[in-house]
Amino acid sequence: MQQAASINPRRSPHWRRRTVITFWALVAPVLILRLVTSVYPIGHTIWLSFTNTHLIEQTRDFIGLDNYRQMPQDPAIQSAIAFTIISVLASTALQLLLGLLIALMLNSARRGRNFGRAINLIPWAIPGITAAYAFRWLLDDQFGLIPEWTYLLTGERPLLFLTAFSARTALILLNVWKSVSFVAILFLAGLQGVPTEVYEAAKVDGANAWQGFWSITLPLVMPLIVTMSLFLMIGQLGGIDLVYGLTGGGPGNATATLGLRIFQEGMRFFKFGYASAISVVLLLLICVIGALGMWVNRKVEVNL
Amino acid sequence: MSNATFLRWRYRSGALFGAVLYYLALSLFTIIVLVPFYWMARASVSNQEQILMSPPLYFPTPTLENFGIVAEQVPLVLFTTNSIIYATFSALIAVATSFLAAYAFSRIKVWGSEFLQWLLIITVAIPQVALIIPLYQILKTLHLLNTLAGLILVLSSLLTPFTIWVLMSFIKQVPQEIEEAATIDGATLLQILWRIVLPVTTPGLVTMLVINFINGWNDLLHPLSFSSTEAAKTLSVAITYIYSYRASWGLPWNLVSTVGMIMVIPIMILVIFAQRAIVSGLTRGAIK
Repeated sequence: MQQAASINPRRSPHWRRRTVITFWALVAPVLILRLVTSVYPIGHTIWLSFTNTHLIEQTRDFIGLDNYRQMPQDPAIQSAIAFTIISVLASTALQLLLGLLIALMLNSARRGRNFGRAINLIPWAIPGITAAYAFRWLLDDQFGLIPEWTYLLTGERPLLFLTAFSARTALILLNVWKSVSFVAILFLAGLQGVPTEVYEAAKVDGANAWQGFWSITLPLVMPLIVTMSLFLMIGQLGGIDLVYGLTGGGPGNATATLGLRIFQEGMRFFKFGYASAISVVLLLLICVIGALGMWVNRKVEVNL
Repeated sequence: MSNATFLRWRYRSGALFGAVLYYLALSLFTIIVLVPFYWMARASVSNQEQILMSPPLYFPTPTLENFGIVAEQVPLVLFTTNSIIYATFSALIAVATSFLAAYAFSRIKVWGSEFLQWLLIITVAIPQVALIIPLYQILKTLHLLNTLAGLILVLSSLLTPFTIWVLMSFIKQVPQEIEEAATIDGATLLQILWRIVLPVTTPGLVTMLVINFINGWNDLLHPLSFSSTEAAKTLSVAITYIYSYRASWGLPWNLVSTVGMIMVIPIMILVIFAQRAIVSGLTRGAIK
């Protein structure tokens, strides 16, 4: 025994010190990348939010909470906060519902499911900006396919990008279209983990398909639903590709999200201080949703 | 109708109803997924006259003249090359650095390791747009604005947490005994990584290269924010230019769609060939 211990180099104190050095050497590249491009920028965004930094006017003075005081007087920001929350909640709810339905469909043993699984990946994989323009074109009031068909059916051509409600609905539906496939992939993996014997046993006991879904499938995918909704909400809070391409924030500011406002104030008007203050609001929103998500997660785990 | 016949009838009609519902749903799903592409593909091979027709021409005689017109408006070859370089190198750097970190996290028990993993996950919850201003300033300080190197630095870093997460699940599947035996035989860490861990995790590495490449190819925010000269602009920026260019008759949808097709076709090919790899990567990243 003693001999084996001294032969195995993993047991010596010298090895111990070497492993610590090895660990940090292996982790160093990622750590440096993340410190420079994520950890430090978070701190710097918070600092900038208390300044009037402006790229063109060359100002960079500490102004305390002035940027935050300006927000309640900025109707564009209030509309952006409201629409960001509505859009994220509506998109996530629809993505979960439709994602589960698509997964159930693709989990079927019938023909055509492999084709369905292949095309399911497409909306997720294509560039967001391209998807946005494709939908903008599909819904174009003069030459778009959807208004054309609406015209054939009702005799009227809808002007979808002129009213706040229809533009917002279009953006939410595009959001759903783009990410529902990702949700479906994860649900499908979850469903494939349920052994078929469980359903057969339930069938023998006289359960119908609906009861089987309600009392077997749903409880099993419930933890997945909670983690995924958290993931989806946080992932969609700051995205700008779809809104940039579909509506550009219009009509007026109706579809502008917080992410788009940060981009415009910061990278178009170069108001670095003010844009950073909006970023901090976005970060706070993420914290609230994250905390809520973890709280719900604990509840669901206890109930199961 | 006897009871047995009734039950059989009920079962059959139930199965038929299920099949009808399934094929209806699948057709509807296919239409919703593919119609935007059909409309875009149609516009990309239509000339200006064909696109303005009312009622619309559903199957125009295809023309490739739009590619020539787009190439006159923007340096198409340069932007395509930039997109390829940006996506490829971001994916490679992210996978290489993540591979080392994922090995350390899965195999070496050290104080602080769990905290670091937790910190990495927290950083991906931060929306990138909220960091765009400090990142702009950092790249400016490093003289990396308007360069592909600057874009690659930012994106490869952004891709590492998810890549590490997925690669860890691949590395943990490999029995640790092989590595221990190699250590006793006097193999160095580099030899172990190169000769043992790398070959068995190849499927994971390929998966993450594909997913990261797609992310790089699709990225709009970074090139839109950090590239004001043509040297570092990508196709995703090019399409926004074509869109903002107004023809006398309105939006040049045939040209926008042409750039759109150039961006979508490579991704479609990748999806067809790497479908399994992509799905396995996404599910491993989300379901433990």
